[in-house]
Amino acid sequence: MIVPLTDKLKNQGFKVINASDGEEGVEKALAVHPDLVVLDIIMPKMDGMTAMKKIREDEDWGKDVPIVMLTNLSDPEKISEAAKYNVFDFLVKTDWKLDDVVDFIKQKLEMGFINLSS
Amino acid sequence: MNKEKQDFKNKDQKTKERKKFTVSLSDKILIIISSSLSLVVVGVVFIAGFNVEQILMVGGSIYTLGFILTFGVSRSFSQRMASLTKQIELMAAGDLSSRLNVDSHDEIGELVQAVNDLTKKLETGVSLEVSKHRGISRAKTDFVNIASHQLRTPLSIIKWYLDYLISGDAGSVNEEQKKYLIEAYKGNERLIELVNGLLDVSRIDLGTFSIEPEPVDISLIVERAIEKFGNLINKNNLTIRKEIEKMPKINLDPRLAEISFEHIISNSIKYTPLGGVIKISIKKDKKNALIEISDTGCGIPLEQQPKIFTKLFRAENARKMESVGTGLGLYVVKAIMDKSGGKVWFKSPSPALCVEEKIIDPKKSKKDISLGTSFYLSIPLQGMKGRAGTKKLTSFK
Repeated sequence: MIVPLTDKLKNQGFKVINASDGEEGVEKALAVHPDLVVLDIIMPKMDGMTAMKKIREDEDWGKDVPIVMLTNLSDPEKISEAAKYNVFDFLVKTDWKLDDVVDFIKQKLEMGFINLSS
Repeated sequence: MNKEKQDFKNKDQKTKERKKFTVSLSDKILIIISSSLSLVVVGVVFIAGFNVEQILMVGGSIYTLGFILTFGVSRSFSQRMASLTKQIELMAAGDLSSRLNVDSHDEIGELVQAVNDLTKKLETGVSLEVSKHRGISRAKTDFVNIASHQLRTPLSIIKWYLDYLISGDAGSVNEEQKKYLIEAYKGNERLIELVNGLLDVSRIDLGTFSIEPEPVDISLIVERAIEKFGNLINKNNLTIRKEIEKMPKINLDPRLAEISFEHIISNSIKYTPLGGVIKISIKKDKKNALIEISDTGCGIPLEQQPKIFTKLFRAENARKMESVGTGLGLYVVKAIMDKSGGKVWFKSPSPALCVEEKIIDPKKSKKDISLGTSFYLSIPLQGMKGRAGTKKLTSFK
């Protein structure tokens, strides 16, 4: 699942750091401080919701970094819980084409840069 | 089982013992009759030699005494019966938790005790049934959640990998390979649509889907639904004729309204032959907004019209014309309308015109809208009825 999305993003010129489970993801994210984090809800070792909370605990970078959640189910409970952590983007994977996900990520990043520059 | 038998034995024993010490109702009546008789006999003996007037007086007194006694007994009897009937009626209406008062140890008292025992058994049985039903319902919901997740995970993996291959990002593919990959991608999309549709159906059947109305411009939702099929409309050279009346904002769940419009518009597009016309009109009367979607399509065979809103049903001519289709769309639309206070119906006056492929009988004018199918959706201007639920419907095209 991670391979096609990573390659697509790399082909578009993004620098992408991969992790194969939630724990590794949080560890790498806290070390590298990327401009945006994409999290799957179901992951080995640590699920996406927990990973999101861990990232938000980081006062310097994590509390504001844009987070996009990937999911297979639109679960209202998880969506409302994530909203408390300022995460509003849930993409149901079966509804999204890869190119559209890449466009969405681009848009989020551009919005972030606009916010920073303004 | 043995415990029940033992209980029954104990109860039987108690009843017998109680009988020894209690004076039953029939005993009371017997006592009354016998005491009256003995009074009469004693009276007759006692009054022997008295004149007729005195005999009549004594007889009258005895009669009055008997009448008062009988009246008293029957009155208390009928009062108890009336109050019991009232209490039993309450129980029959569903209040199985209440019990009758056992105020005596006569036959009525025993009857009351028996009714109480019966109610207790009924109550236990009903609560068992209810908890069993709840259990089944919960199991169904869990199954739907697990199944949908388990089904969607591999489907999304297939989707993204095929997408990745088709786009050539993983290395170039020749035209023939690409053609096959696209077919596989389309097949997977159909499967996703079916899983989404089945999920919606289970949410409808379990009653777990929510309706969240908000003020919405209905024409925008219709436009958005039409836009989604832009490519197909162009490909099939269809004309979309719109007649949209200005409308105030209505409290609608935009998602559910869009799902409903999409399903009906998608059907019109799928079953209208090349070069046909689809008319979409939005009007309002005093109470409702009326959305009409008519086409110059194949019509629905008369004998199959009653089944058109049932789950997984597809009309025979539709199946021949278009192999793709889940047979869930109209069921979902009907359920949305039923639960939100709207209505959906259709007219398809002509017998099925198209037999195979997208070819229409040349004698019939393909521009004649009255020969095709018209679907109508009516939504109250005061809005959809809201409804709390744990899930949202998902079956977007």
